[in-house]
Amino acid sequence: MSALTGTVAALLGIEDAGDLARVSARAEAIGRALPAPARLGLRAGAGTLDTLSRLATGHRLDDLDADRRDAFCALLTSREPAARLVETLKIPLLLAAGTELLPIPGAAGEPRPDAPLDCTPSGEWPACSTADAVVIGSGAGGAMAARTLARRGMSVVIMEEGRRFAVAEFRDRPPLDRFLDLYRDGGSSMALGRPPVLLPEGRAVGGTTVVNSGTCYRTPGRVLRRWAALGVPVEDFGGHLDEVEATLRVARQPVGPLGRNGLLALEGAERLGWRAAPLRRNAPDCVGSGQCAAGCPHNAKYGVHLNALPQACAAGARIVTRARAERILVERGVAVGVRAHRPDGTALEILTPRVVVAAGATQTPLLLRRSGLGGHPELGRGMAVHPATNVAGRFAEPVVSWSGVMQSVGIEELHGDGILIEATASPPGMSSFPLPGAGRSLRRELEDADRLAVLGAMIADAPSGRVHGARHRALVRYDLAGEDAARLRRALVAMGRILFAAGAAEVLTGLPRRPVARDEAELTHAVAMASAADLHLAGFHPTGTAKLGAGEARAPVDPSGRLRGVRGVHIADASVLPSCPEVNPQLTIMAMALRIAEGIE
Amino acid sequence: MTTPTGKVASGRRTVFSEVMEGALRLAGEDGERPMRLELTASLPGMLRPWGDVEGELSGRVRVPGWADDHAAGSLRVAPVAARQIRYTLEFIAGDGRRLRLDGWKTVRAGRPVRSMTVLPLTVTDADGAVVGEARLRFDVRRDMARFLRGFRFPGPDPMRSRWRGQAGRLEVWYTTLTDPATGTGVWIHHELVAPDEGEARAHGWAAVFPPGETPVFGRFGPFGWSHSEDADFAAGPVVQGGGRLTGAAGAISWDLRESGGGPPLFTFPRWAWRSEVLPAAQIVPKPAAAYDGAVRFGGRTLELDGARGASARIYGHGNARRWAWLHADLGGGDVCEIVAAVSTRPGMDRLPPLPFVRLRVDGVELPGGDPLLAALRLRAGIGLPVWTVHGRIGDRRIHVRVTLPQDETVSVDYADPDGAPAVCHNSERADVRIVLARLAGRGWETEREWRLDGTGHAEVGLR
Repeated sequence: MSALTGTVAALLGIEDAGDLARVSARAEAIGRALPAPARLGLRAGAGTLDTLSRLATGHRLDDLDADRRDAFCALLTSREPAARLVETLKIPLLLAAGTELLPIPGAAGEPRPDAPLDCTPSGEWPACSTADAVVIGSGAGGAMAARTLARRGMSVVIMEEGRRFAVAEFRDRPPLDRFLDLYRDGGSSMALGRPPVLLPEGRAVGGTTVVNSGTCYRTPGRVLRRWAALGVPVEDFGGHLDEVEATLRVARQPVGPLGRNGLLALEGAERLGWRAAPLRRNAPDCVGSGQCAAGCPHNAKYGVHLNALPQACAAGARIVTRARAERILVERGVAVGVRAHRPDGTALEILTPRVVVAAGATQTPLLLRRSGLGGHPELGRGMAVHPATNVAGRFAEPVVSWSGVMQSVGIEELHGDGILIEATASPPGMSSFPLPGAGRSLRRELEDADRLAVLGAMIADAPSGRVHGARHRALVRYDLAGEDAARLRRALVAMGRILFAAGAAEVLTGLPRRPVARDEAELTHAVAMASAADLHLAGFHPTGTAKLGAGEARAPVDPSGRLRGVRGVHIADASVLPSCPEVNPQLTIMAMALRIAEGIE
Repeated sequence: MTTPTGKVASGRRTVFSEVMEGALRLAGEDGERPMRLELTASLPGMLRPWGDVEGELSGRVRVPGWADDHAAGSLRVAPVAARQIRYTLEFIAGDGRRLRLDGWKTVRAGRPVRSMTVLPLTVTDADGAVVGEARLRFDVRRDMARFLRGFRFPGPDPMRSRWRGQAGRLEVWYTTLTDPATGTGVWIHHELVAPDEGEARAHGWAAVFPPGETPVFGRFGPFGWSHSEDADFAAGPVVQGGGRLTGAAGAISWDLRESGGGPPLFTFPRWAWRSEVLPAAQIVPKPAAAYDGAVRFGGRTLELDGARGASARIYGHGNARRWAWLHADLGGGDVCEIVAAVSTRPGMDRLPPLPFVRLRVDGVELPGGDPLLAALRLRAGIGLPVWTVHGRIGDRRIHVRVTLPQDETVSVDYADPDGAPAVCHNSERADVRIVLARLAGRGWETEREWRLDGTGHAEVGLR
């Protein structure tokens, strides 16, 4: 047995040899999917625990019996640095355990068939080709830009780093396998800071829209007014949002498949007299599989791989998959093409006078820097991520939060203050919510997880992030602003109030020092005593790393979406959003990409 | 020809040949086929490694069992400025499809030799669908020496206009051809006159000479002159350039494509054409060209398919005082070109006509030396309907007799840049007899003799 197996057995309190073998194998698989630094971290963490075990008990971790393992866990969690290491190691291990130990709802009924897409793997794409326009990235922004340009009669090639996923895979493969495949770096992307922020990004034909929750908010008026003041033309933005909503078939989520998690959120909000409603989503036929984050097994969620991309392909656009854009080719200040790498390391080049960059907020600045176009001092700076946190309420009756709509209900009572609460429950183990404890107590929590209802809150944040790096790996730094930490604390208390109002016996705060609160006062105290570094955060919406605006000094991208300092390079993804959009940004990104693409000559 | 930056290149060009070999993988086939490209590039200006030029590319695509065809296209050479050498070619595959080859070498500082010798190519059809992908390589060890030896830097295209805005200049482009099927001659004359005073004007005429009939004649212009990058001559509907002649004059209209032509024939010395020191000079940039297309005249249409003819040029101060001209296509690329003229310059106008003779036979040109020196040993008798040239060419004797049939001759009035009038009598139905004799013992022995019955292109200009 390896150090990792011992760590799995100790931290997750697994005693059955069969269970242990399966969960360990999963953990190994996760390790293999992680990028080298994270993989190294996981191994080093497990090795450290093993060494500590030898020092404390004289035995390797996997030589201890169950009782001594549990005692060792108690020892670890009582000491601050060791407790932090345990909390960090729990994230991948819970991911491994969650999908192994908890039942996954099966996908019943016939799925909607996949949309026809003209996808060619980069290995079969010629080394030399030409196009009227190349769109880098097939996510929300790229798909919309490609569709707009293709419908104008241009020959468009969409370059996608990921591959195409068919609905059959979403039905047949276990969620964890899909999860590791669908996300960049197996979903382990992080923004460094105190606290660190998990920053998962989809990597597939359709980008993050394949794995997002499907929540579709229109850009709030106050955000648009702020952008107008920065010189961004937003007069016709409403029309663009309308078109995007029609493309995605956005509608309010019917209550039927909402699931108990969402109903409890509605109930709690109603008792508090707070504004709450099922969210508007792009999944009119959602049956509540609760697996949005790992690809919808019914194709019910209309990611762009089911609408904008097939429409672009119908207009003649072609998608090259598994092609990682290496650099934009520039001659005398004019873009002339794109060079990309295939997985085997060989290169392909597409000559084109128009390059639309839609590689996502963390990758776009890197690509521009690799291309020698990263000269603007604001490029990569001022990233907003919508830091999000969550709490869970323990109920007497089973909730089975992973059965139903993954992100079901929006509570907008505090939205004016930049706090948006959404009932969000991921598939088992995939939630960023850290169950408290270690060893047998954690195992009991896992076995009891079906009684937990989970709420999440994201806040409108200051542009506190920065994307460093000029090679292939983005080094993201995010320093939570003081007022944002305060806002997150307020959000934690507000979510707790909703859960208590809905009848929760206790609330799991996710805070390492005070993981459980039995009433509001206890919760308020626990939150007030927690340092910012104790908050467990995930950022799902990185935006604003190549801001659009009229001010040349502030914005690397001009109001029409052209990158300043070069001709023929347009940015059409979340990078261009001038400030935090304050809502789930899919509609905003797509409408912005539509507007930018319409202006490309 | 311009560079991609829009700068007009100097008149000199860079010509070189290149051979690349490799493999072609066709879509839907598992295996690869051997492929060979034999290319000749012609680029504007002297090739500079740091420059960025685009020029013509022609050659042959060979893929055994699939394609073996002439290919033509363009080549961009910018190894430093854009780190790219791009080849674009069109050819016809064995199955009749018109296909396009497009590929480029992306020059990488880390691997300069490999990146500049390996060429990935994509073959697409007319709809842009990918037909195949090739990877070719220039064999440095085998071909480098030959590649470097093959570099040539020829002078400017003799068809391009030479006029640079001076007053008192006359520039002429004229094309004469005979349809082998009907014996009909076609003469298209483009002229730029920059008078001593006033605006330059472009005009000209066309004539068709059906056998046994009165020639059909029509004028076009005058039009204002504007320099064109795309054409050698462009005035109103009349355009000559890029191997194509189109236009209309009176009852005649034409749309012709010119191909081949052989190396230019310098009737006047090369130095005289370049330096412009003589009152005027004539050369034949395309002495043995073929013409395809249609000529419409007086309600009739003459379809041409490989008609033989030539395109010639004159540049100078004006017409001669008296002159005679002959273009005789002797077949198989052999031609005889004669200009006999008396200058209008005071003093020189009293001299006898000076005959410039160029005879190209089996690829050898006679006389061998300078045409002006050779002209001193020849005599011409200019007259109508018959004019003659005779004298010595090296150790040979030549006798040329040209007869212009009166009924099949058109007379055209000209005005020199100084306003002086001249009349030129043109016929493409001239009978020509050329005898080349060699000294044998004490007498002359006929070495070669040519007779052209009604297919000689000739004119006689008088005042």
